[in-house]
Amino acid sequence: MNVVTRGIKNALRSPIRSGAIILMLAISIGLVLAMLVARSSVEAKINSVKATSGTLVTISPAGVNGFAGGGNPLTSDQVAKISTTAHITSSVSSLSDQLGTSDTNLTSSLELGSFGARQQRFDSSSAPSLPAGDTTGSTDTARPAPTPRISVTGTTDPNSVSATGGTLTISSGASIDGSSSSNVALVGTDLATKNSLKVGSTFTAYGQTITVSGIFSSGNTFLDSGIIMPLKTVQTLTSQAGAVSSVKATVDSSDNVSSTVSALKTSLGSAADITSEAEQAAASVSSLQSISSLALAGVIGATIAGAIIVLLAMIMVVRERRREIGVIKAIGGTNSKVIVQFMSEALTLTIIGAIVGLGLGVLVSGPMTTSLVQNSQSNTSSTTDATGPRGGAGFVRAFRGGINQIGSNLTQVTASVTPQTFLIAGGLTLLIAIIGSAIPAWFIARVRPAEVLRTE
Amino acid sequence: MLVVKNLTKSFNSPSGKVTALNDVSLSIKTGEFASIIGKSGSGKSTLLSMLGALDVPTSGSIDVDDIDIAKLSEHKQTSYRAKQIGFVFQHYNLIPNLSALQNVMLALEFGGTPARLRKGRAAQLLSDVGIDEDQQMRKPSRLSGGQQQRVAIARALANHPAIILADEPTGNLDSETGQKIFDLLHDLSRSENTTIIAVTHDMDIAGKTDRTFILKDGKITTK
Repeated sequence: MNVVTRGIKNALRSPIRSGAIILMLAISIGLVLAMLVARSSVEAKINSVKATSGTLVTISPAGVNGFAGGGNPLTSDQVAKISTTAHITSSVSSLSDQLGTSDTNLTSSLELGSFGARQQRFDSSSAPSLPAGDTTGSTDTARPAPTPRISVTGTTDPNSVSATGGTLTISSGASIDGSSSSNVALVGTDLATKNSLKVGSTFTAYGQTITVSGIFSSGNTFLDSGIIMPLKTVQTLTSQAGAVSSVKATVDSSDNVSSTVSALKTSLGSAADITSEAEQAAASVSSLQSISSLALAGVIGATIAGAIIVLLAMIMVVRERRREIGVIKAIGGTNSKVIVQFMSEALTLTIIGAIVGLGLGVLVSGPMTTSLVQNSQSNTSSTTDATGPRGGAGFVRAFRGGINQIGSNLTQVTASVTPQTFLIAGGLTLLIAIIGSAIPAWFIARVRPAEVLRTE
Repeated sequence: MLVVKNLTKSFNSPSGKVTALNDVSLSIKTGEFASIIGKSGSGKSTLLSMLGALDVPTSGSIDVDDIDIAKLSEHKQTSYRAKQIGFVFQHYNLIPNLSALQNVMLALEFGGTPARLRKGRAAQLLSDVGIDEDQQMRKPSRLSGGQQQRVAIARALANHPAIILADEPTGNLDSETGQKIFDLLHDLSRSENTTIIAVTHDMDIAGKTDRTFILKDGKITTK
C-alpha cells in the first residue's frame, strides 16, 4: 500500500462525514457544470443571433418610403457599391411599381376605401387639381374616378417579399428566378382569385404578355393583391434600366452593422436613406449577454464554494489527525509524503464529488438554461415592443420579421453538454482540490513530530 | 554508542524562559537497556524527543556512533528517525485505519524496504512479538492494549534501528501485561543488540534495567 492508496482509503474512513462532504461538493460541482453549460449555450446563441438577426440593412433612395415620397431610384453603380461593401454577405435589390387601369388588363382585388381614395386624391393624368371656387369644369371629366392600383415588385429574390422574413409560401405552381429577365410573374392569391388566374395563365401589363409562374399566399392582404416579377423584367418593362427602389443587404454579424451603415453612408452620400435593426439586435443580445455573465459569475462562485468546502473539510481532517501526522513524521514519514497522502485524500473526495456533481449537472443544466432564457425573453419582448414600428410598409415587414426571429432564437437556446464543457468542469474540479488542500498542506508541514510525546 | 554532551533545551513561555533540560550529559553503550525516571515536568519527554531527533536542542550535542544528530538537516533527521530510531509510545500511536500488518509495513516503507519484501518482513516481526496471523489483519481498535503495544514494538523494530526510544511503554497497561512488554523489550535488547532507552515512572521496571538515569528539574543524576 503506497501513500496514494492510503490517502484514498482515508477519504472513505468515515462514511457519513465523507458522504456529507461529497454531497456538498457534488452540489457545487453540479452548479459549476450547469453554469458552464448555460454559458456555452448562451454564447453559442449570441453568436447565432448576431449572425442571423438584426443583420439586415435596408437602403432606399433618399426621400422614398414604399410608394410614398419622391426622388431618384438607386442606380446600378450604387447597387454595385453596396454589394461590394465590407461585411455585406448578400443583398437583395427590388424595384416597386404600381399598375393602373391603363397599364394592365387585371382588376385590383383591393377595395379603394376611404384610405385609398385619400391617397389618390391628387392623382390626375390630364389636369392639376382645380383651384378652389372654380365651378366652370366638371370634376368627373377632369379627374377620372380613382381606382385601386396593383403593386408590382421586381426583385432579385422573391422570398424577400415575404411578410415574416422567411420563405415566401407558393400555394401553387413554382417560384420565379429573380435573376432572369423573362416575362413571368408570381401573383398574389387574392389578385389571382379576382382575375381567375391560374398557373400558366397570361395577363397583360405594360403592353406585354406576362405568364403566371405561381400563386403565392402570404397572409397579408396588401401583398396578396400584388405581383412579384424578376427585377430585370420590371426594369425593362418600366424603362428604368438598372434602377432599384430598395436594397436589403445582410451583414455577417450584428456587431458589424453600425460600421457597415457608416461605410454605406460615406459611399452613397445623400443619395440613400439607410435603416438597420442594429438596436433591436443589440437589445436581444444584451439580455443574452447578461445571462452569460451571470452564468460566468455562477461558475466562479460555485468553484470558490467547492474550494472552500474542500478547504474546510481538509482543515478539519488535518486538525483531527494532528497526532497521526505527528506519528507518521516521528516514524520517518517526510513532510512531502504526508502532504501527498492528504492531497490524494482531498482529490479522492473531490473526484467522487465531481462524478456525482457532473451527473447532477447534466440533469439540471437543461431546465436551468431554459428557465434563465425564458425569463429574459419576456423582458426583451416588453422592451422592444415599446420602441414600436416606424417607417413604411417594407420596414415594418422587416422589423416584424426581425422580432420574430429574435424571439424564436431565444426559446431555441438548447442546453448542450459538450466534451469541452466537461473538460473545463474537470479542470475547475482539479483546481478546487488543489486550492482546497494547499492550506491544509501548510498546516501539515507545521505539525511537529515531538507533539506525539505529549502524553495527555 | 550514544554520547550526550552538555545538552540544554529552553523554551519561551508566557511566564518567561523555561529551561527543560539543563546541561545534561550521559553516555549509553550499544545494546544497553537504560531507563530514565523522574517526576512530571522533569524534562523526560524533552530529553527523549532530542534523542529521537524530533526536536533540536538549544545547545549541546548528541552523538550517535560519532554523528551529531542535533546538527543534521531536517530532511536528514527524518531519514535518521526512519532508519536509526524506533519509537514506542505510551498510547501506542498506531494508525487507526491501518491493520496491524499495514502499520508495520508503513514503517518499512519509510525505512526504504522494497515493496515486495515488506509484507513478509512485517508478518515475521509481528509473529516475533507474539501477534498471530489472525490478529495481524485486525485494526488497532480490535486489539487489546498489550497487543497494540506489541504491534508498536514490531513497528519500532522494523528497520533494525540502533536505538529504541520508549515513552512510558507500560504506562497504559496493567502490571501483568506491563511486565510482559518489559520482558519483550529486554529480550530484544539482548537478542538484537539494540540500545533501548525507556522513560518510566515505574520503579520496579526501572530497577530491572541495566542503567537508570534520574532527571530532576532538567538535571541528571545517575543512580
